[in-house]
Amino acid sequence: MTAPHVRLQGIRKAFGALAVLRDCDLEVEKGEVMTLLGPSGCGKTTLLRTIAGFVVPDAGSVSIGGRDVTLHPPNRRSVGMVFQHYALFPHMTVFGNVAYGLRVRRLGREEIDRRVRAALELVELAALPERWPAQLSGGQQQRVALARVLVLAPEVLLLDEPFGALDAKLRQAMQVDLRQLVRRLGITTVFVTHDQDEALTLSDRIAVMRGGVIEQVGTPLEIYDRPASTYVADFVGLSNLLPGEVRAGRIELGRSVVLPTDRTGRVTVVIRPEHLAVRRDEAGPGWPGTLTFVKHAGATTEYQVDVGGPAPLRVLAMRDPGGDLLEVGDRVRVELRDSAAWVVLGEGARP
Amino acid sequence: MTPALERARRRRAWSPGDAAGAVVLTGLAALALVVLVAPLLVVVLISFDGREYIGFPPERLSLRWYQALWGHAQLIDAAKVSLRVALDVTLAGVVLGVPAAYALVRGTFPGRTVAGAFLVAPQMMPGLVIGVAVLFFGAYFAFRASHLMLILSLTVFCLPFVIRIAMARLAGLDPALEEASAALGAGRFETFLRVTLPQVAGAVLGAAAVVFIEAFDNVTVALFTASARARPLAVELYYLVQYDSSPLVAAVSAFEILLAFLAVAVASRTIGLERIGR
Amino acid sequence: MSAPAVTWTDAAWVRRIVRGRGIWPAVPALLYVFVMLAVPLAVLFAFGFLTIDRGRVIPGSFTVAHYQRILTDSLSWLLFWRSFRLGVATTLLCLVLGYPVAYLYTLVGPAARKLLLIAVISPLLTSALVRTYAWLVILGGRRGLLNTVLLRLGIVDTPLRILNTDWAVLIGLTQVHLPFMILPLIAALASRDRFLEEASANLGASRLETFLRVVVPLSLPGIAAGTALVFALSYTNFIIPQLLGGGTYSTVAVKVYEQTIVILDWATGAVLAALLLGSCFVLVLLITWTANRAMAWREGTR
Repeated sequence: MTAPHVRLQGIRKAFGALAVLRDCDLEVEKGEVMTLLGPSGCGKTTLLRTIAGFVVPDAGSVSIGGRDVTLHPPNRRSVGMVFQHYALFPHMTVFGNVAYGLRVRRLGREEIDRRVRAALELVELAALPERWPAQLSGGQQQRVALARVLVLAPEVLLLDEPFGALDAKLRQAMQVDLRQLVRRLGITTVFVTHDQDEALTLSDRIAVMRGGVIEQVGTPLEIYDRPASTYVADFVGLSNLLPGEVRAGRIELGRSVVLPTDRTGRVTVVIRPEHLAVRRDEAGPGWPGTLTFVKHAGATTEYQVDVGGPAPLRVLAMRDPGGDLLEVGDRVRVELRDSAAWVVLGEGARP
Repeated sequence: MTPALERARRRRAWSPGDAAGAVVLTGLAALALVVLVAPLLVVVLISFDGREYIGFPPERLSLRWYQALWGHAQLIDAAKVSLRVALDVTLAGVVLGVPAAYALVRGTFPGRTVAGAFLVAPQMMPGLVIGVAVLFFGAYFAFRASHLMLILSLTVFCLPFVIRIAMARLAGLDPALEEASAALGAGRFETFLRVTLPQVAGAVLGAAAVVFIEAFDNVTVALFTASARARPLAVELYYLVQYDSSPLVAAVSAFEILLAFLAVAVASRTIGLERIGR
Repeated sequence: MSAPAVTWTDAAWVRRIVRGRGIWPAVPALLYVFVMLAVPLAVLFAFGFLTIDRGRVIPGSFTVAHYQRILTDSLSWLLFWRSFRLGVATTLLCLVLGYPVAYLYTLVGPAARKLLLIAVISPLLTSALVRTYAWLVILGGRRGLLNTVLLRLGIVDTPLRILNTDWAVLIGLTQVHLPFMILPLIAALASRDRFLEEASANLGASRLETFLRVVVPLSLPGIAAGTALVFALSYTNFIIPQLLGGGTYSTVAVKVYEQTIVILDWATGAVLAALLLGSCFVLVLLITWTANRAMAWREGTR
C-alpha cells in the first residue's frame, strides 16, 4: 500500500482553555477528495488550517508527500488554500491576483503571462483578466481564488466552506464543476463543510467530526450504511434511533420485531427511514401508533408516527399513486421492510 | 510543543528580510514613542527643579515653582480667564452641536451632505486663519479683540468635533426606540429629551471633555482674538516662554499635562480613545 | 360642482414644509458657522484688497497693490518655499515614524493597545505650547537635555546647536503632529482583512513581502488622510517655527502673525493669510486626488 499523501497524526490543539482538537488522526490518499464534515465548533476548520500551516498543533505531526512539514511556516508548504470568502486582493486585478504567487517567486514576465492565462482558461475565466474583484460575482470570485492557487501547482488543495457564500442554485452547479475539475487535475483535495449534502456530492471519503475528534472516516456509502456512532447516524441523513437490550443474542423491539446481534448489553439500533413502511392494518409485527405528520414531497412521502417512544418514528416511502392516502390522526403500524438494513451500536455515542 | 521545537519552528518561519524588517519596525516605533512621550516627562521633571534656570537633570528637587505659581497673580488670573472661556466654549459647542448632529443624522432635508460638510469645514481651517478672520471681521464692525470674541472664535473652531462625535453616536442608535416613544404619544421634542439625549449623553460628555481642553489650551486662535487685558493662560504662557528661563513655565505645564490626562480618562470611558482624532 | 375637499395630503405637505424635514435643529449651528466663519473669511479675503490704516479700513479703496507687492517680492516666495519644505519634511518624518507605531498597535494585545493609545493621545491633548517648551528644554544650548546626555556619554565634544535652526523646528513640528498621522493609520490598519495576509502567505510570500505588497497598499486611505492632515497643520503652524526657530526664523504663518499682531499691517496679513489658505487647500486637494488615483480599484465597490 502506498503511503498516504497527507497524514495527520495525534494532532492536539487548544486555544487558551478551550481544547479545539483532541488527538486527531487522518490519512488522505493521493488524488483523493476528502471532506471534513461537522457542525460549527467541531474543529474542522482548525484541522484544515493545521494542514495549511496557519495553526501550529500543540502535539502531533503533519506530513505531506512523506515529508514532515509540522514545523514549516504557511508560506513554505506546497498547499493551496481557498478561503471561505475567497480573500481576493481588492487592489489587484484578476490577473494580478492569479499572478501573485508567481511574482513572489520572481518568475519572468512572459512565463507569468503564459501561466496565468492557462490557469484562467482552466477555470473558464479567460475573458476577465482586467477586472477588479469587486466587479465579479460570487461564483467568479471563487474561480479566481481557485486559479490563484492552482497556477502554483500545489500538492494539496484546501478549501474552507467554499460554497457557503453562494446561493443555493449556484452552489449545486459549482459543486459539480469543482468536483470534475479536481478529478481532472488529479490533485489531492481536502474540503471543509457543515453541509452533509455537499459532502456526499463532492467526496471520495468523508471524515465526520465532533467536539475536536474525528468520529468516523469512510466513503459516503460506508458512512451512510454503517455509521460508527449514533452521532454520525444522526448527522448524515435521517435515522431512527431505537434503544434496546440484548438478550441471548437477540434484541426485541416494538411488537415481535426480533434482530440478531453479536453485541451484548444495552444498545441503540439505527434504522433509516427508507427501511420502514407504514401499513393501515394494525395487526402484525412492528410498531403500532398514530400518524402525527405527513409530508408529500413529490417523489417521496415522509411520515412521522407516534409509537409511544421518546421520539416519533420517521418513515420515508416512495410515492404510490394508486395507494390510499393516509392522514394525520390515522391509526397505523410501522413495519420493518424485507430489505431492511439496520446497525446496532453500543449505548451512547461510540461503539 | 517543546521549547526547543518552538524555537526551531520560529527559526524556519522568519526569512532574513522578515527579521530585518522587524528590527527596523520596532526601532522606529520605539523612537516615535520616545519622541511622543519624552517631552511631557521632561517638563514634569523640570518643574521640580530647585534651581533658577532650566537645566537637565534637575538638581535640588523642590516644590518652589509650584509655590511660586500659587502667589503669581497674573498667572492665576489668566487661569481663571481660561477656565471661564473653556466652560463657555464647551457649553456653546454642545448646545449648538448636538441638535445640529441630530438634524444631520435624522433629518431628510435636501442638501444634507452639503450642510454637513459646511458645519465640519472649520475643522479644515488652520487656527491661524480662523483667528485672523474673526479679528478682521470684528474690526470691520468696530469690535476689538475681547473675551467675547475669543469665545466666539473658539466655538466655531471646536464645533466640528462635537458634531462629528455626536453624529457618530447618533448614527449608531436604534431608531426603533424613538419610534416606540412616538407610538406611545410623545412629541418630537419630548422624545429627543427623554429618549435620544440620554443615550448620547456619554459621547457628548467625552466630546465636551476634549473641547474643554482644546479651548483651555488654545494658542493659535487666542493670540488673535483674546483681549490684551484679560489674557488666557495659554497666551500668558506664550509670552512667558519667550523671556522667562526659569522652570516656572514647567510648573504651569505640569498642571496642563495633568488636565490632559484627566480629559483622556473621561474621553476614553465615554467615547473610546480611538475617536479623539482631530 | 362643489369645491374640492381639503385632503390630508395637503395638510401633510404643509406640515412637512413647516417642519422643514428635520432641518430646524441644525439652523442655529448653520447660522453660527456662516456668521463666524464664512463671513469672516470673506472679510479676510476682502481686506487683502483694501487699504487699512492702523486697524481702520479706509472705505472705497480697492487696490491690488498689496497682492502685487507680495507676489513680486522674492522674500515672500522664500517664505512659501520654507513653509512648503517644512510641511513636506514633517509629513514624511511623521509617516516614517508613525506607520510602525500604527502597525505595532494592530499586532499587540488589548492591554498594550491601551498603553499605546495613551502614549499617542495624551500629547494631543497637551497644549502645543507645553510641548514646544519641552523641546526648548531638550534641545536648548549647553544645558539642554540632549547636549547634557551627549556630552556625558562622550559622543560629542562641543554641544550641538540645534535650537534656532530648521532641525529644531522640524523636530518640534513632527512631535506635535505625530498623533495626527498615527490615528488615521490605526483606523485604516486595524480594520484590515487578516485573511488577505494569510492568503498571501499561502501563496508563498514572506512576512516582509506580505507587508509591502498587501498591507501597505491597502492602508492607502489612512496614509492619505494622515498625510493631508499633517501637511495642512504643519504648513500653517506658526507657534513652533517662532519659538524653536528663533527671532529671525520666519515662515508664511509666522509672518501672518507678525503682520497682524505686531506690525499691524493688516492688509499684508490678509494677503498672506489668503495665499496661505489657498495654497494649503490646493496642496491638500492634490494629495487627495493623487491618493484617489492610486486607489482606482475602489471603483467597483461603489
